[in-house]
Amino acid sequence: MAKAESLYVPQSNLWERVKTFVNAELVNILATLLFLLLVLFLLYPIIAVLIKSVKGPQGLTFSYYLKFFTKGYYFRSLTNTLLLGFINTVVCLVVGFCLAYLTTRGPLSLRKPLKIVSMMPLIAPPYLFAISLIILFGHNGIMTKAFGIKWSLYGFTGVVVAQTLAFIPLAYLMIENTLRSLNPNLEESAYDLGASETTIIRTITIPLLAPGILKAGLLVFVMTIAEFGNAAILGGRTPFLAPDTYTMIIGEADFEMGSVLSVILIIPCIIIFFLHNYILTGKKFTTIGGKPVASEPRKMTPFVQIPFLIISCTAGLAIIISFAVVLIASFTKILGINNQIVLTHIKNFDSNLAIYNSIKVSLVAALIGAIIGTLLAYVIVRGKFFGRSFIEMISLSGFALPGTVIGIGYLLAFNTPPLKLTGGIMILALNCVFRFLAVGVEAGISKLHQINIEIEEASSDLGANFMTTFYKIVLPLMFPAFIAGFIYTFMTTIVSLSAVVFLVSPGFDLAAVKIFDAAVYGEIGNASATTMKLVVIVIICMIILNFVTKKTGFDISRKKGSVTV
Amino acid sequence: MSINLPMLMLNDIRKSYDRLEVLKGISMEVQKGELVTFVGPSGCGKTTLLRIIGGFTPLDSGEVILDGQRIDHLPPNLRDTRICFQNYALFPHMTVAENIGYGLKIKKWKKARIQGRVEELLKLVKLEGLGGRMIDKLSGGQQQRVALARALSLEPKVLLLDEPLSNLDANLRLMMRGEIRKLQERLKITTIFVTHDQFEAISISDRIVVLHEGRIQQIGSPVEIYERPTNEFIASFVGYVNFLDGVIEKVDRGLERATASTSIGEIHFVPEREINVGDRVKLVIRPETISLSRSEPRVSNNVFQGKVEIGMYVGSLAKYTVEVKGGKIIIDQSNPRETGIFKTDEKIYLSIPENIHLLMKH
Repeated sequence: MAKAESLYVPQSNLWERVKTFVNAELVNILATLLFLLLVLFLLYPIIAVLIKSVKGPQGLTFSYYLKFFTKGYYFRSLTNTLLLGFINTVVCLVVGFCLAYLTTRGPLSLRKPLKIVSMMPLIAPPYLFAISLIILFGHNGIMTKAFGIKWSLYGFTGVVVAQTLAFIPLAYLMIENTLRSLNPNLEESAYDLGASETTIIRTITIPLLAPGILKAGLLVFVMTIAEFGNAAILGGRTPFLAPDTYTMIIGEADFEMGSVLSVILIIPCIIIFFLHNYILTGKKFTTIGGKPVASEPRKMTPFVQIPFLIISCTAGLAIIISFAVVLIASFTKILGINNQIVLTHIKNFDSNLAIYNSIKVSLVAALIGAIIGTLLAYVIVRGKFFGRSFIEMISLSGFALPGTVIGIGYLLAFNTPPLKLTGGIMILALNCVFRFLAVGVEAGISKLHQINIEIEEASSDLGANFMTTFYKIVLPLMFPAFIAGFIYTFMTTIVSLSAVVFLVSPGFDLAAVKIFDAAVYGEIGNASATTMKLVVIVIICMIILNFVTKKTGFDISRKKGSVTV
Repeated sequence: MSINLPMLMLNDIRKSYDRLEVLKGISMEVQKGELVTFVGPSGCGKTTLLRIIGGFTPLDSGEVILDGQRIDHLPPNLRDTRICFQNYALFPHMTVAENIGYGLKIKKWKKARIQGRVEELLKLVKLEGLGGRMIDKLSGGQQQRVALARALSLEPKVLLLDEPLSNLDANLRLMMRGEIRKLQERLKITTIFVTHDQFEAISISDRIVVLHEGRIQQIGSPVEIYERPTNEFIASFVGYVNFLDGVIEKVDRGLERATASTSIGEIHFVPEREINVGDRVKLVIRPETISLSRSEPRVSNNVFQGKVEIGMYVGSLAKYTVEVKGGKIIIDQSNPRETGIFKTDEKIYLSIPENIHLLMKH
């Protein structure tokens, strides 16, 4: 006993005591700080929208909601949006399934090219497809004039086509992932028991894929109804929630109705986010272990192969043509009218200035996003405090929130001192940071799960305190995840349109907004050239990301929220 | 139909993946009602061969003839073979009964008939009353039975079992091994059984096909494979073996005796084949055939004195490494309580029997 007491050194010094406390509680302090940031920059703006929508001159009022549901125009925008979401989801799932089936079960020679084509939209901002459709089928479109097509691009169908092409990769990736992890022996067993390929698909493949397909569908649905660019550019007189919100706020300065539309838009998104994360998790059919068997290419019956090929190739061709016409349009005076090759669009000063601004904002967002993402991942995995899963939930929820809603939220929340951010570059960066946090956090979490906690314990065992351990052990090991978060945030921010369109100040144009304006005013060459510049930037980011992925083993393209809105 | 017509015939089957030749000309026959095991180390081509018979893997050349008809061009759903995969591949979204009845439903059987047949099969594999269960509510052994029942549902001409027992724990494996054999003998169903476990192969088969590096090394009954392996690989693949290199010194054809000189001395044996003086041979001596004793045994032939180098008591037997002049011999002494347990460094006598299998060296 005496010996033990002699080892005890009383902490007389107050500074020492504070240091000990901070060291012991650092994870909790960090968690609290991060939680406050999430509340401030993610929850508060949404609450601000919610409050705005029910706050009348004499306190609480539901008159704006009443107006929404009684005035045909508003209600139609809701039904249009839901219908668009539904059609789009179904089409994307069908095309995604055909592509995924062919790239995992089909002839070897087709697998790679189909895979590349179906992933191509990932490197483009979604509104690239709106621009290409205008070039082809607009009032002065190439196809319109060449074949005298009477199809009116502006309206429901135009939006559906553009959205479908934009969200094919999302459906494809998720379905392909589940299809690839499906034990091939299951389908072989059915084959062995006498089933034909169509029967196998109907009775085995699709039922087993159902949870994955449902998940993919929910995600596509959310992304589609929240998507702003395509609907705003091609919607014409057809009302949709996301672009209508923009018109309400920017055109008519009607913040109350804008908020109501936002709340209506956010409801399905939140419902689906919960469905997606909490009800569907764990609902996966488990199969019995044993050595994994590689799927051997088997002969597809023509009954399956031909329709699947037709669907896949149509989609693939549409994607390739879209990229091609936008690329050509960037180098021609006015494609279809004056096909003279020029460099004016590429050299356009305003366009390059906007790109420069976008890079600046995106770099700021990427740095902040990567830091917050890494720290969040750390406290989520290693923290032992109450409400940890709540923090995880909010930090992953960003992707489900429509950009337009966040845009209005930031406009409402950060317009008055002491939190006046409007008009600055920080507000442009911050909204993206918190919306695109999910991927950085997930990268961090999966990296941390690979790091054995015993490494950290060994470090503290050797006498290092928390800070030292974090700097010397955790940070270096998490560095790949940090880089992944950085590049991902950069990439998504630079093409992001829906939120920043509310927040840009005159004189500080962002590339995405510039493209949107140019597309709306019919300056196709300009819109195309700026879009192609973004595509090039995204490709560069993808290459770096691919490199990081190989180093970390974390496949970002397979995580949710990897498509931007 | 002649009784001698084999149920399954493989003619010179070849298969390569990229440049790697995994099957280098496999020819063999399986008789009706026979249980034939493909055994070999991993990568020997046994599963590929099974998948070729089932129709899952296309072959490069050769013929698969089932009951007199070529089937190698047919897809699996048109072949009268049924496979049980190693991981059972039970449909997780269906009940036990739906799994077993899947093939019958494909064949458009009437509902009542399917039900009757499923009941019959459940009884056959001792799963009565479990038809309504979901697959994930079954134990490993029960899942194995469902897979078996499902494969048997359409009364295939040949049943293909791919490592069916490798996912079960040791005791269950022994039990299921016995049950599969009993069922197979009762139904007289022609069966091909793939395993990497040589003892499983020996204990369950009518005939064993030992595969190694894409070639058939030997086909024979379990006794033939164990006692008269045709090469060193097979000899050491089925259990440990003492190899002694030797040269034939003397052959007495009248007495059917021969003598070979080896590194540990002269060994007398009964030649099982035609040999001549001067032939270079390898003597294959199984550890359990050698007996040990403290005192010099009365027989005069093939007795060697040695010293226990390592002794291991493993309950049912004692394993010894004995140092003799000119080499080391491994010996398994069964029922060690009876003969006594020898200590390290103890001087002992070992006597080698005269029935010795020979491998000729070229």
